[in-house]
Amino acid sequence: MKRLLFVVVLLSTLVLSSVSAAQSPVLTIWTDDQRLPVITELSAQFTEEFGIEVVVEPMGIQDTKDAMIRGASTGEGPDLFIIPHDNIGALVDSGVVAPIDLGDKAELFLPNSLEAFSYNGELYGVPFAVENDACFRNVDLIPEMPETWAELAEVTRALVDEGKVEYAVALPDLGYNYYPVYTAFGGYIFGRDEAGSYTSEDVGMDSEGMIAGAEWANALIRDGYASENLDWEAAHVLFESGQAPFIITGPWAVDRFKNNEVPYAISACPAAEAGGEPGAPFIGVQGFMVNANSENLLLAQTYLTEFIATDEAQQAIFEGDPRPSAWLAIFEATEDPDMQGFAAAGANGQPMPAIPEMGYVWDAWGNAGLLIAQGDLTPADALAEAAAQIRTQIEEGN
Amino acid sequence: MLIPKTTHPNLSPASALRLGLVGLFDAGLIWLIVRLVQDGSYPLAGIFIALGLVVTVSMSLDRFRAWRWLCVGLSLALLFVLYPILYTFYISTTNTGGGHVLTRQQVIDALERVQYVPEGGRKFSWTAFESPAGEYALWLQAEGSAAQWVTVGAVQADVQPGTGSFGPADENGIPLEVEGYRRLERRDVIVLLDRLGQMEFGAPPETIRITGLNAAATTQARYHYDEAQEAILDQSTGTLYRPAGGSFVSEDGEALRPGFFTGVGLDNFNRFFSSAALRGPLAAIITWNFMYAIFSVLFSFALGLLIALLFDNLPGKRIIRTLLIIPYPIPALVSILIWRNLLNPDFGALVKLMQAIFGSAPNFLTDPGWTRFAIILINMWLSYPYFYIVSSGALQAIPTDMLDAAAVDGASLWQKFSRITLPLLLQIVSPLLVASFAFNFNNFNLIYIFNEGNPPIAGTPIPAGHTDILISFVYKLAFTSAQQDYGLASAISIVLFAFVAVITWLQFRYTRVLEDRH
Repeated sequence: MKRLLFVVVLLSTLVLSSVSAAQSPVLTIWTDDQRLPVITELSAQFTEEFGIEVVVEPMGIQDTKDAMIRGASTGEGPDLFIIPHDNIGALVDSGVVAPIDLGDKAELFLPNSLEAFSYNGELYGVPFAVENDACFRNVDLIPEMPETWAELAEVTRALVDEGKVEYAVALPDLGYNYYPVYTAFGGYIFGRDEAGSYTSEDVGMDSEGMIAGAEWANALIRDGYASENLDWEAAHVLFESGQAPFIITGPWAVDRFKNNEVPYAISACPAAEAGGEPGAPFIGVQGFMVNANSENLLLAQTYLTEFIATDEAQQAIFEGDPRPSAWLAIFEATEDPDMQGFAAAGANGQPMPAIPEMGYVWDAWGNAGLLIAQGDLTPADALAEAAAQIRTQIEEGN
Repeated sequence: MLIPKTTHPNLSPASALRLGLVGLFDAGLIWLIVRLVQDGSYPLAGIFIALGLVVTVSMSLDRFRAWRWLCVGLSLALLFVLYPILYTFYISTTNTGGGHVLTRQQVIDALERVQYVPEGGRKFSWTAFESPAGEYALWLQAEGSAAQWVTVGAVQADVQPGTGSFGPADENGIPLEVEGYRRLERRDVIVLLDRLGQMEFGAPPETIRITGLNAAATTQARYHYDEAQEAILDQSTGTLYRPAGGSFVSEDGEALRPGFFTGVGLDNFNRFFSSAALRGPLAAIITWNFMYAIFSVLFSFALGLLIALLFDNLPGKRIIRTLLIIPYPIPALVSILIWRNLLNPDFGALVKLMQAIFGSAPNFLTDPGWTRFAIILINMWLSYPYFYIVSSGALQAIPTDMLDAAAVDGASLWQKFSRITLPLLLQIVSPLLVASFAFNFNNFNLIYIFNEGNPPIAGTPIPAGHTDILISFVYKLAFTSAQQDYGLASAISIVLFAFVAVITWLQFRYTRVLEDRH
């Protein structure tokens, strides 16, 4: 017994003494796989310049939010992490992110990228890339993007009638990827309060603009010019195989369209009427945020304001994963026609609402789209039902 | 009862090894427990302490020799079965979820860390100096006023470079050297940044804090927790926030972020059972859930058994058997996605084939009836090989003399099957059927991967689909559609657990009745 006790005590002392931590600041960054190489490289530069060790860890971008929220109570997690802006509401509500002050450097960013990273009037991160849907057309079939949705429908219906294509448009959904049609007709998801922030008190799902937008697709579907089956994958296959001349989708689809050698062009979307405001897509912004529970809060903020908010770092990130940059100088300098197309479409884009209530929208909206497409409900009824579902959940959730 | 006491004058090598391993195990465990206590996970730490005691005592004292092998299983059961169940139950009585993940104390600490610049406060740019004793001082500059020299606890206003202990200035008007101090350069400062940020420079009431690499300001703590009132005071506005429902809330109903988690009793269960929104689609979902589980098991079993009977005595049995169980080793995820594409209304191969033969094809993704049909069909594809294997094995165990005797008595094939083979077979496989039912009752993968519970049901108060089963409905409710509401999700999973437990218990009772008959 005594011998055993001795062994136990000895070993546990050894183990315990190794638990005590060393005391020189180390920054930890969570990044997605795509940006792992460039962030690792940048961090090596930072280490060289300032003598501070930076640990870069890969973390799936979908998992970051959950991991941050779960880690909040134990103080775990990185000092900095990369995340899309629409998680900001949930993160702020859970007390996981710290505000940041860019000072004069704010002018160097795309204004709506900073708007997206703000919540309740405070800036919570430093963006580096913006993403939005744009209108894709098959240039062999539609040489010029028509100015209005009505014209587009006319042109593409004619193509079907001539037997050149199977469907007039490919519809991935009647929600996120259809938003430019809704907004062209004046639709919206959440209204804004006086400060310009989205508010869950004004649910726009059943507004006239939304219904008018949905009617556009409904007419095409009922007449057999668009598929009753809304399916993201199927819609992309229709476009890339040349069976549909038009689709609204995002940067993630570009590679597959290139691989399939479909002659596409990317541009801003049509308007409701000639001379009207073009349909606005949602804008998603990606950037860094600072963990509010970090022991190196000021250092982490400094990393962003002094090191990431610079021409060199933004250029490196842009080259590491080319998507439209949130850094104004790079955004404006691009000569890539695809990126110019996305930029044109996103010029009047709206940041995707980051309020937690947005979580109630997706399922209700998606279901309304399916019910419209299947012909189970009229657009007005389907959207009214979706609006009621969202309002019910907002009410019960509180 | 007298047990002869064995003595060990010398430790045998085997015992020494065993004790050494136990020592190692304990050391690892103690390290883990210390970490858990540091993290505040007391229940889990408690479980590990109990576990460590049981293992150590039974492994090192001969009196408890009989417990040695039992204790391993016991500890694992404790850790991986009992603890998660109890923890889920605990979570279900709290409001844990997005916005409510911190403890109340953590929220108070976080709020008390928040600093603000009060009205009339000043902002500075700063340069840090360090004394050989490791004390820090700041040279503060603000536009339109003289510089200040501050240390922790003292302030020297209106200082000029080149006077007193201050050396000559650089191009920015900052002294290059100060007597008794060393000027810190940017590189040194960055390493120290967060240590400096913790310090309050200057003399109260006006304290100065570093707010960034270049900025410092006269700041004050924005929130103060009043122990007596158990409320948080916002010192910038004078608003009092009282704890209510997991947040500190002002009289106007404005809640401070973040919220904290707190016990809410059986509220989550209440919400589940009393919410009109939830109850709406629940009946439809439960009905389909039962249909889904029952038909899946029934048809898969029937198909598996049929094939087992047909191919029981056939030449080339081995090859056929190999081919038949092919769906089994393919990951279900892959199979389901392939089926989804085969049945796609626009370009699915099966749909095209049906259109070619019959002129039209049902819509397997948007028509509720056909979607359900497709799901059961896919589940048959996925699980018949299992029942085929099980049935073929079980059929071997049925004594052939009974069948021979029946044949002599002139029984038909059907009579032999229904009177002898099936009852005997059921006796063997019924526990498997019950288990399969319980599994399919919560078989989330198929439902979610195939069609995410779609097509949607029109007219429900909250989104729900025709092919949603309870678990997929709950998943959407608790995780995709709202903020992650772990409390509600735990409550619902306990309800589901109760559901399945009762059904399983009833089935086992029923199958025991079957067995008793013989």
